[in-house]
Amino acid sequence: MQLKNIIAILVAGSLLLFTACDEYLDINENPNVATQPPLDGLLASTSYQTGLNNFRVSNSFGAFWVQYLASPNESSTTDIYLEADYSGTWGSLYNTMTDLFDLIRFGEEREAEAHVGIAKVLMAVNLALVVDNWNDAPYTDAFTGSTLTPVYDNGEQLYDVILNLLGEAEAALASDDASPSLNGPSDFVHGGDLVAWGRTIEALRARYLNHLSETGAYAPAEVLNAIDNAYTGVSQAAAITTFEVRNPWAQQAVNNDALLLAGWLSDQFVDALNGTTYGVFDPRLPFLTDTTDTGDYRGTRNGAGRVGDGTMAFESYLETDGSFSSEDSPLYLMSYQELKFVEAEAALAATQPDRALTAFTEGVTSSIIEIQTFAGVSQEVAEMAAADYLSAAYPDLSAANLTLDDVFREKYVANFLSPETYVDARRYDFGYTGFELAANAAQGSVPTRVQYPNTELDRNGRNTPDVLLTDLVFWDQ
Amino acid sequence: MKPSNLKVLLVFLLIGAGAICLHAQKSVSGTVTDEDGEALIGVNVLVAGTTSGTITDNDGNYVLTVPERATLIFSYTGFESVERVVGSATVIDVSLQFGTSLDEVVVTALGISRERKALGYAVEELDAEQIARVQQPNLVNALQGQVAGVQVSSAGGGPGQAARIIIRGVNSLDPGANNQPLFVVDGIPITNETLTVGGGGARNVSNRAADINPNDIESMTVLKGGAATALYGLRAANGAIIITTKQGEAGQVRVNFETTYGTEEVNKFPETQRVYTQGFGGNYDPGSFWSTWGPTVDEARQIDPDHPETIFNNFENAYTTGNQTRNSLSISGGTEQAQFRASISHFDHEGVLPFSTYENTSFRFNGNLVANEKFSFGGGVNYVRSGGNRVNADRFNERLVYWAPRVDVNNFIDEDGAMSGYRDRPPGFFVGNNPIYGELTNKFVDDVDRFIGNLKFSYSPFDFLTLNYVVGIDQYSDFRHNYGQGPVYPGAPNFENNGARGFNNETRIRRRDITSNLSGVANFSLGGDFDLQVLAGFDVFDSEYDRVTTTGDELDIFNLFSLNNAAIIRTSSFDQMYRLMGLYGDISIAYKNAIYLSITGRNDWSSALPAANRSFFYPSVSLGAVISDLTDVSSVFSYLKLRASYAGIGKDTDPYRTSVVYGNASGFPIESVTGWTRDNQQGAQDLKPERTNTIEFGADMRFFNNRFGIDVTYYNAKSVDQIIPVPVSNATGYTTFILNAGSMRNSGVELVMRGTPVQTPNFSWDVSLNYTRNVNEVLDIFEGVEDIFLGSSFGYAGSSASLRLVEGQPYGNIYGRSFARFGADPESLFIDESAPLLIGEDGFPVVETNQKILGNSQPRWFGAITNTIRYKSFSFSFMFDTRQGVQKYNQQGNFFAAFGTAPYTLNRNETIVFEGVLADGTPNTQAVWLGQGEGPDGRDYGAGYYRNRFRGSTENFIEEADWIRLRNVSLSYELPAALLQNVFIQRASITLTGNNLWLDTPYSGFDPEGNRGNQNGDDGFGGFTYPGVRSFFATLNVSF
Repeated sequence: MQLKNIIAILVAGSLLLFTACDEYLDINENPNVATQPPLDGLLASTSYQTGLNNFRVSNSFGAFWVQYLASPNESSTTDIYLEADYSGTWGSLYNTMTDLFDLIRFGEEREAEAHVGIAKVLMAVNLALVVDNWNDAPYTDAFTGSTLTPVYDNGEQLYDVILNLLGEAEAALASDDASPSLNGPSDFVHGGDLVAWGRTIEALRARYLNHLSETGAYAPAEVLNAIDNAYTGVSQAAAITTFEVRNPWAQQAVNNDALLLAGWLSDQFVDALNGTTYGVFDPRLPFLTDTTDTGDYRGTRNGAGRVGDGTMAFESYLETDGSFSSEDSPLYLMSYQELKFVEAEAALAATQPDRALTAFTEGVTSSIIEIQTFAGVSQEVAEMAAADYLSAAYPDLSAANLTLDDVFREKYVANFLSPETYVDARRYDFGYTGFELAANAAQGSVPTRVQYPNTELDRNGRNTPDVLLTDLVFWDQ
Repeated sequence: MKPSNLKVLLVFLLIGAGAICLHAQKSVSGTVTDEDGEALIGVNVLVAGTTSGTITDNDGNYVLTVPERATLIFSYTGFESVERVVGSATVIDVSLQFGTSLDEVVVTALGISRERKALGYAVEELDAEQIARVQQPNLVNALQGQVAGVQVSSAGGGPGQAARIIIRGVNSLDPGANNQPLFVVDGIPITNETLTVGGGGARNVSNRAADINPNDIESMTVLKGGAATALYGLRAANGAIIITTKQGEAGQVRVNFETTYGTEEVNKFPETQRVYTQGFGGNYDPGSFWSTWGPTVDEARQIDPDHPETIFNNFENAYTTGNQTRNSLSISGGTEQAQFRASISHFDHEGVLPFSTYENTSFRFNGNLVANEKFSFGGGVNYVRSGGNRVNADRFNERLVYWAPRVDVNNFIDEDGAMSGYRDRPPGFFVGNNPIYGELTNKFVDDVDRFIGNLKFSYSPFDFLTLNYVVGIDQYSDFRHNYGQGPVYPGAPNFENNGARGFNNETRIRRRDITSNLSGVANFSLGGDFDLQVLAGFDVFDSEYDRVTTTGDELDIFNLFSLNNAAIIRTSSFDQMYRLMGLYGDISIAYKNAIYLSITGRNDWSSALPAANRSFFYPSVSLGAVISDLTDVSSVFSYLKLRASYAGIGKDTDPYRTSVVYGNASGFPIESVTGWTRDNQQGAQDLKPERTNTIEFGADMRFFNNRFGIDVTYYNAKSVDQIIPVPVSNATGYTTFILNAGSMRNSGVELVMRGTPVQTPNFSWDVSLNYTRNVNEVLDIFEGVEDIFLGSSFGYAGSSASLRLVEGQPYGNIYGRSFARFGADPESLFIDESAPLLIGEDGFPVVETNQKILGNSQPRWFGAITNTIRYKSFSFSFMFDTRQGVQKYNQQGNFFAAFGTAPYTLNRNETIVFEGVLADGTPNTQAVWLGQGEGPDGRDYGAGYYRNRFRGSTENFIEEADWIRLRNVSLSYELPAALLQNVFIQRASITLTGNNLWLDTPYSGFDPEGNRGNQNGDDGFGGFTYPGVRSFFATLNVSF
């Protein structure tokens, strides 16, 4: 073979190769994922995650600081107010809001008003969980990927955003033309029922307006106006009832059964219900937890860890048959009872004592009925239990002598495990009867806010405000 | 490809074409003997500048077909190499001089053998003996201390566990970058990845190069980057390890059998206090979570007569003695035309941590056939099965801190099979995680089946031209089975990580890499004193990865580990494809066999980059000049060579980093509803290739008739336009952005000294020493990004240590909290050691929450010295190895402070005045108690100084991790031939080896060499690692 020929072949071969080359190399489209997400798919993940975010905020710190739960271990970090990193909870909230941002963006492009409307409600719920616990937070500069270090918005201004989102959601839902259609089961909260969403918007509006109770902007009349168009019964409330495996509180109970200790009730909560604090036994307690081996109900003091010296080993925990910790217990975004107590509080502030009393009574009654009937008690028996409890606990109950203390006391029980209680506790300055600092407390007061997570301090340090656990969120004054 | 790049390559070819001289091909034979005329068996006879060659047979004879202009190189361990120009001779007999061999032939990129003196860059080579001597089953560990510029970090002494190798420093800012070199076995790049998927990260699964049987290796050449690896292209941007396996030799069939038994123990334990026992606040409580915040043992015994007289040292008790065996059998032989070698090897290792195991079975067959004068081909196939139960050393050691030393951790299981914990929980339960029970019931077993095969064809149409084609495949499957046992009865104490009801997770991986490489080499004489070699080639790399992970939670039957037994099943899958093509050329010109100039160019096309930027070209130039052959240098030098090189290497990135995508939301589908979520990574559509520019200068100086040599290298490599996934605030909508910005520099000095103080036929003493100093600087990172987070290690109360890259600072800086210093510059990144401690109003030191640089995970320098002494049939060698100027975050130390385990917490009941000043500058005079609860002064001290303050300052747990160790001692005895005369055994030797026999370090934990893993973010983090081991081996080797 002549050298010329070899070179010719090499050159020709190379040229041939490079025409085929581009096609051969066009394989960088990730085959495992999509570039355009289905709207229903975003709705499914965000509606479900919003429910879980309520659980996460509560189980990370809220439930411990309001003393629903206590750690079995002495001087556990969260129990005693040591600074801890809640990057996971923060990250989940922002992941969910990112997907909601996309659902709104893509939904608007495709004129899917129902998706957009629901997304805006869910955005409001998640953003409020952020502001209520961390105050200032990124929002207007967030989710777009256009900056590495999103700036923080003022917490108070974010409340305007939250209320605006609810208004926009209302408008979007009103203009829905059912095209493109929404897959009901992909909406884990209301199954695609837009009327139900309309009520939830009002209920949430009432909740967030009521958060402003300590500020000059508080307008109880507006709260009451919103409530007029919100829930009229337990079944209308916003809750997740379908789970990947089981209700996340049920998972705590399952873990505790397997000695992966979790879901230990605080003595503050147990004492409030077992007669220790108020002298009245709450008929909900047997349906939220079980007795100890000695037949009583006994909580664990926050920061003190396990009770006793090892010979009296048993305490009260979340149980797998508890009404809030069963496999299919509803995980509330907003409950009917909460709405009733918001109504009672706003009505008191608006000096409408009759309305306050009605709402208060309905809140307590419906809570007892819901908790008991969930466990199989008949409606009649439960109604009786509620009436008995009200007369025993509040023998002189009347519009004239219903107090804010009564409202907070009952809301604390009815809202068991809800992240909303940590908001209430701060607005109420932890004024619950018998409420005391955790044993071995690292600071002289319960934290009034959450420290920013390490992911923010590390990666967005220049924007992240420098805060202490004793700082206040804007509505806490 | 840009037309201009194509032109460059064509020019390469045309230069070759313009300078043709034809020469005939012919056969050469001969005998190689030593000074005394004894035949030398197995001498390498190589044709300079090519990949062809042979080995002398049992009578020292060889036959080889060569071009007339060829130069033959004869090399043999322990002898000086000899070169002969073939010319008109048909018989070339050679006598080799016994002596230090410094003029050897080395394997360079693409497997081409070259004389060391012809190279313009540093190359180091390990032979089979150096690899065998250190008794490291993971061949990456075999490089430890043996090569300048190469830093090997093991993750401790775990069976089969991963090791990390970095050559000349990390040159990528990408936290996920593979900064390790390319491994090439017989011309085929093989993967050395460490896949952490399916739970493999915490379990320290093997780096895949550990599959290779070290006994099959003839030599390992380390190409350190830049000019040395330019022809391999971007995949060797971090250097390359070129492995040549043992080949068959012409002559009678030889059988070799080797068996090794080894035993090992933990070489260093942390110190613990032995005074205080279980409880909190000085109060005894056998049910307490707290292991040693209780009263003294004596006080506890007054309350609880069952309390043992002394508490257990469970850190020592929990570990056991490990052992390992390897049996290898090989058969080789052949004729002048065809040779083969087959080997089978089995390795079995049980580690010092209970239930840690690893097994490796390897078959290899290599064959070569010379069909005729023009055509030859050969190939090799290697099947490996490897894997074992990979323990979670991190979790094991963490749980040992929680464990109360009141109880012997070896009582880990009850008669009914339930876990026996350290916390009394009446009636009759003992809860609290037992780490040994954990390893018994929570397992991770990997099972790898791997095939590596290569075929080589060599065709010489003309005597000046050889065309080579190599095609190879590296394919493996990895079945990973991770499972945890459910409680043996409802409510039975069980290990926490087993979940409430047990689990069974299975991950199935398939990786397939195909490499195809066509190249041509032409050798010409240009007349006069000039010789020319032209090389051009084209290679394609095609890689595919598939994975399916299925998790099964909540087992019906607590100990049936099958997906069929799980109530909750979830599955995810991942596929990935990657392709790379490269066209390369090399022109080498030699003048008087003393000055060598080499110019290379390579163009890569990568599938991982956007179409517009996927093609990129990069060149290299290197020059070597043997000054001592050109002029009469001073009589001090017996040899003097200078070398210089420049190389640019382009780099691509991982696949699928160029777009924004949406994936399945975790947990879904739920009741047949699917969920979607935005991916956490924001890709960039306009990524362009990175580039690393390296310059290197070196000198090879030899003195006293070559008895003493020094080789010095300086290098400076700057990587620019780096492609980095930057961790970002979750509020951006992502957790990472892929960014195309940032640069980093590594510069350093490598020094290799070799000497032969004594050299007689019966006795020789060789010393070799290597020294490496690498200096790294992050030159710039993306504007707006203050730092890049590489990884962190948890510490209590905000004391987590992290590795970050900050502009102007070196790679490997460890950040964390410290005790505040009075009057220190608040903007400073460093602690002001000269300033007094700032004491708070409470009388305790104040923790500075702004992160400061507390240390660096990269050593200032490292080196090793090896002595080899041969006396008649005895060979004795020992290697000292050191790493200096390196710090480590001791996570175990942090936990020891938090749990009252550390010896210094014995002062917990003392009242002291902290030396320092208050915020107003006045000296602190306040006496404080260090204990928990109410102090002697009536003040409530809460959880006490160690928990409230001390453990929250990372500074307290950053330790000097320097070490000097006796890495390896080896004594070998070759049985005298006379003894074997009447048996069928030809040769026999016995070797005794000791590894890590002595260690000197200021570090307080386990052996500081171990990192928690072999990823970039694991560097500098120790504490809960698999402990290092001291091991002893006996090896018997016989040939038939």
